[in-house]
Amino acid sequence: MNTLTPATLQLELVAGQLSAFYPLLQQGVVVGCMVGCRLGELLSDQWGISPDYVSKRVTTIFLNSRAIDDVNTALIGPDAVIALSGAMPGLVGATMRRGGYYAAMRGAMTYNDESVATSFREATVRVKLFNLLLGELGPGFLQRGILLSGTELVAFFRNQGIEFRHGCRAARLNGLAIDPALLTEDADLARIKSVRLTVECRDAV
Amino acid sequence: MDKIARIDMGATGGPKISYEEVGEYSGLGGRALTSLLIAKEVHPLCHPLGAENKLVFAPGMLSGTTGSMTGRLSVGCKSPLTGTIKESNAGGQAAQVLARIGYAAVILEGKPAGDNLYKIIINKDGITIEVDNSLKLLDNYPLVAKLRGQYGDKVAYITIGSAGERQLLAASIACTDPELRPTRHCGRGGVGAVMGAKRVKAIILDDAGMKTRAPKDPEKFRDANRKFVEGLRKHPVTGEGLPAYGTNVLTNVLNEAGGYPTRNFKSGVFEGGAKLSGEAQAELEIKRGGTATHGCHRGCVIQCSGIFNDKDGNYVTKQPEYETVWSHGGHCGIDDLDTVARLDYMDDNIGVDTIEMGVTIGVAMDAGIIEFGDKEGAIRLMGEVGNGTPLGRVLGCGAEITGKVFGVEKVPVVKGQALPAYDPRPIQGIGVTYATTTMGADHTAGYAIATNILKVGGDVDPLKTEGQVELSRNLQIATAAIDSTGMCLFIAFAIMDQPETFQAMLDMLGAFYGIEMTGDDVVALGKKVLSAERDFNARAGFTKHHDRLPRFFYTDPIAPHNQVFSVPDEEMDQLFNW
Ligand code: SF4
Repeated sequence: MNTLTPATLQLELVAGQLSAFYPLLQQGVVVGCMVGCRLGELLSDQWGISPDYVSKRVTTIFLNSRAIDDVNTALIGPDAVIALSGAMPGLVGATMRRGGYYAAMRGAMTYNDESVATSFREATVRVKLFNLLLGELGPGFLQRGILLSGTELVAFFRNQGIEFRHGCRAARLNGLAIDPALLTEDADLARIKSVRLTVECRDAV
Repeated sequence: MDKIARIDMGATGGPKISYEEVGEYSGLGGRALTSLLIAKEVHPLCHPLGAENKLVFAPGMLSGTTGSMTGRLSVGCKSPLTGTIKESNAGGQAAQVLARIGYAAVILEGKPAGDNLYKIIINKDGITIEVDNSLKLLDNYPLVAKLRGQYGDKVAYITIGSAGERQLLAASIACTDPELRPTRHCGRGGVGAVMGAKRVKAIILDDAGMKTRAPKDPEKFRDANRKFVEGLRKHPVTGEGLPAYGTNVLTNVLNEAGGYPTRNFKSGVFEGGAKLSGEAQAELEIKRGGTATHGCHRGCVIQCSGIFNDKDGNYVTKQPEYETVWSHGGHCGIDDLDTVARLDYMDDNIGVDTIEMGVTIGVAMDAGIIEFGDKEGAIRLMGEVGNGTPLGRVLGCGAEITGKVFGVEKVPVVKGQALPAYDPRPIQGIGVTYATTTMGADHTAGYAIATNILKVGGDVDPLKTEGQVELSRNLQIATAAIDSTGMCLFIAFAIMDQPETFQAMLDMLGAFYGIEMTGDDVVALGKKVLSAERDFNARAGFTKHHDRLPRFFYTDPIAPHNQVFSVPDEEMDQLFNW
């Protein structure tokens, strides 16, 4: 298998099982995209998240651990870590909030680096989703596909309970149907360096 | 709430009760009442565990009404932990019940000779006090269970566990929740030790035969309350985020921001953060048949709490809050929610502040008593506190004392009180609040984020460090005022973002007391409270040099932002300059 082109694994899940992926999404998943653009463009043009949704729901954003105030100025380079969160409680929530009144409280933790010198090209970034956005944006990311190593995938399936396994309707590895029950045992899968996992969950939000 | 009861626990011949009109404290409640009274009546140089100190219980200005979110009980005294004035508040049913019985405040004074233990029963007929030595050294859960056998389930209980009785400086005062579990604690500052010094083990509040407090303008009050509730329900934080995940929703965000103090403030990122997150916690609670949405008192519409069960579905504790999950979790290098829940239960049962105890265990880990990440070790240390062993007594007196006893150089305290869950190096504005608050390090002192509506202190330049000082000042003023209303501080986001919700809160106060309440009145109240507290602290010997963070925050940069705390002292010294 070509090591540069990831293998593909397509899963079909019944409703309610998507939350099994929330721990992964919180810790961050790698996704392919075009970098060298503004964060706002990445969110809307490439990931199809409407600017209106971003301004109303994605009230806290971190780029490489720095709080973002303006999605239209922050530049995305390769291997960027992007964390998206809904509104947070308390003073710290207010402090971290995009363009918020209390942004002064976070001082130098604020993103103000305009100097990411990179061309518009294909690369990967790590995306983390927190709180309400897990349910709202998680399905989209899983549908578009996330990149995992084979060992990560096998570990993920081993961690799932019986309900998840029953809820796994179908699986296709590189286009070929396989028995979802075998995913925890598949030694070949564990050896694959990079797998692009896509998840369909018809009843999900 | 038209009367104040004073109970002289040290009177000759046994405790003596007297009643008086509210007088000069009329229309005040919560922190305004406790702080003004303590500042006026307690000698600032007294020993906090001596006869001269007083312990004031005061429901908020709107407690006992049909207004939502109005169930905070304030407890005030001179703190044995910090030596400053102290107001510590909690939810639960106590404030509502005490207010309905008609008390603006109940004040414990004096100190009895001998070692009899007392319980106080407060109902519509007045107050009675009884010796009950059968309660000795009972912890909160068995204590409340025993009291329920005698006084039933239609009352509210205020209690101390063994830590309070032993006068440990981290001791809390517990209030029961709607299910009569002693889960809501006036945690900070060792207020439980003061109750223990007064030899009062339990206060039983029975409002049978009493009605909810009636507003001066019932129609306007009802209308304002409706708008207030609508505002809370429609806001994403109070209507969605907090009910779904509780305050622990902050773990992932703080960790991502590099502001999550890890292993006794050595790093701003904890690799096990996602395992402790509010998202993970809610999922676990629901899966195990608990709940991620629960109110600590009737009338709470946000319901930021929950019920944490073990893997077999048995109750362990209420949903631990963000600060608890942090103090027992990342601060100690522990990434296991079951351990955190177990420790939270032990805190509640023994009756100690979860922040102080978690930070203390982290300091003990730094001293090498146990390793960072040692789950069983942490539970064992808590057991020592519950058993009152010599080591347990040291730990139960908090982080500062533990640090001194075991020679730890970097101890995260201000004025003797442990820092909460936000590192002040990347989030400098929080550091200003920690350093300068009248209470010792306290995140809630700058929590009421409505200052953009209140317009206290004019415009703030976000690029200057003075901006952080100004913001902190405004926040402290707003918080002092909100703490006086009896309202839960978690209303803050909704009243910040939605001017109509803030107005509804003012209208509730105005309609209840038959006055016009403006933002300026709120600011004036907040300033009055803070001025009284500052004055007390100054007379107790506190100067601007106490308004500082521990030195290591100025010298040791923290990853990943590699910053130190850099707000100049001269700017911080301007904070209370109004
Ligand atoms: S929001 Fe939380 S802390 Fe506040 S009253 Fe409700 S349950 Fe209690």
